[in-house]
Amino acid sequence: MTADSILEIRNVSKSFDIAGGKKLLAVDDISFDVERNSICVLLGPSGCGKSTVLRMMAGLETPTSGAVMIGGHAVDGPGQDRGMVFQAYTSFDWLSVQKNVEFGMKINGVPAAERRERAAHFTELVGLGKFSEAYPSQLSGGMRQRVAIARTLANGPEVLLMDEPFGALDAETRWLMQELMIDVAEKTNTTMVVVTHDLEEAIFLADKIVFLSSHPGRLKEEIVPDFKQGRRIGDKEHVVKLDGYGNLEAHLMRLMREEGRHAA
Amino acid sequence: MSSDTRSKPFFRLRQPAGRKQRLFSALGIWAIFFGVWVFASSTGMVNELLVPAPQKVFASTYDLFAARGFAGDVLISISRVLGAFAMACLVAVPLGVMMGSFPAVEAIFAPFVSAWRYLPAPSFIPILLMWFGTGEAPKLALLFIGVIFFLITLVMDHTKNVREELVETALTLGARRSTVVMKVIFPAVLPDIVIAMRQMLAMAWTYLVIAEIVASTTGIGAMMMRARRFLKTDEILSGIIVIGALGLLFDLAFAALHRWMFPYLRKTR
Repeated sequence: MTADSILEIRNVSKSFDIAGGKKLLAVDDISFDVERNSICVLLGPSGCGKSTVLRMMAGLETPTSGAVMIGGHAVDGPGQDRGMVFQAYTSFDWLSVQKNVEFGMKINGVPAAERRERAAHFTELVGLGKFSEAYPSQLSGGMRQRVAIARTLANGPEVLLMDEPFGALDAETRWLMQELMIDVAEKTNTTMVVVTHDLEEAIFLADKIVFLSSHPGRLKEEIVPDFKQGRRIGDKEHVVKLDGYGNLEAHLMRLMREEGRHAA
Repeated sequence: MSSDTRSKPFFRLRQPAGRKQRLFSALGIWAIFFGVWVFASSTGMVNELLVPAPQKVFASTYDLFAARGFAGDVLISISRVLGAFAMACLVAVPLGVMMGSFPAVEAIFAPFVSAWRYLPAPSFIPILLMWFGTGEAPKLALLFIGVIFFLITLVMDHTKNVREELVETALTLGARRSTVVMKVIFPAVLPDIVIAMRQMLAMAWTYLVIAEIVASTTGIGAMMMRARRFLKTDEILSGIIVIGALGLLFDLAFAALHRWMFPYLRKTR
């Protein structure tokens, strides 16, 4: 991995107004970089502000202080260069799968022929080629998330932001989706930032794990899973069996447990 | 039919009633209703003048349509309802969507709209008659006032319920605010808007009859008030039946429209 950063989080803090005119500090002075074409995982217990950090990258929240930089410019609101996939289903139910995937391109003025072609390509990439004319309500939860991923990728973002994208899926589907994301990352060279509280998911996907502690969210540790030796391995079973997997998982468990003790 | 041969009780706790059972039950309740009516009128338990026999009511309904141009009154009533309702929708739907999408728009109109909602529309009849005379205008105005403020509020509430993730998804795909409203919020809320319209159309019928009974020489309500003057209870009841039938018809039409417009809401899995 080169040191070519696409996203720079610079001394970012975020506080929210809560009842009684008080402020709640959710994110406290966090700085880290996301390298181009890498998969960066934001991991931490609930309440660590990882989703807030992601939403600030998306431009859906504004930092109280500090800045999120993309390609050297400060993020100022949402934009086409940063696509986002949410945990909740966001398929547009009134549009077919094909039209869902075309949506971003359509509002951004991509000509119809190119739109159709790109949509077909990304629908195929996420394994929904046969369902392009189906409505989202006819699809399973995992398939709906595939639609959301294809829709975001087809819009050509530089960064794909994902907020616990597979949290609502059952275990075996989640696993398949994680393998799909490795495949997508390899094929599209898209930078990904994934928020999760699932240790396995973090270890499997990450080129780098950014561990945040809770209340307020602070950067606790940046971890590069060395045992993968810089490779992306698309087979989860293979990854779990590698030397060093267990050690890293144990380390992350310890971090989680320490945080849990504070919270509980 | 299932191969289960054990006899099931008629009243099963929270188990769906079969098709046959529902049909039987529906016909049954109406059979009892008409049975009691026929029995009461034929045995002289009730005054024939005040409660005519059902067969007499149906005969005069036929006579009204066949020989006395009642169809004209019905058409006038229908066009009043649809005309005023369409005008109310043309204002209420865009305004409700805007109020539900932009809190700033809500802040402007909500205090106004919610105050008007508590003013009973029929209380405007005297002043509407003074302003607009006895033509079509006061009837249309009453229907418009009676429907619009509720419709605005319903559309606004439904619009607010469009999930935030859908809006944020569109924003992160690069949509501008107007695009979010037109291409995401509006299509997302449209099925609920059609349901709200269906509910409010029923209310429009109520106001129509009030308007026609109070101040009209044409329409179904006016016919019923004429019949009252000549003690024609059978014709009054005919009017009630026709209004009920039309209400049911429009409701079914709206349900069909909903199914036709939103095929994606049908679960096939």
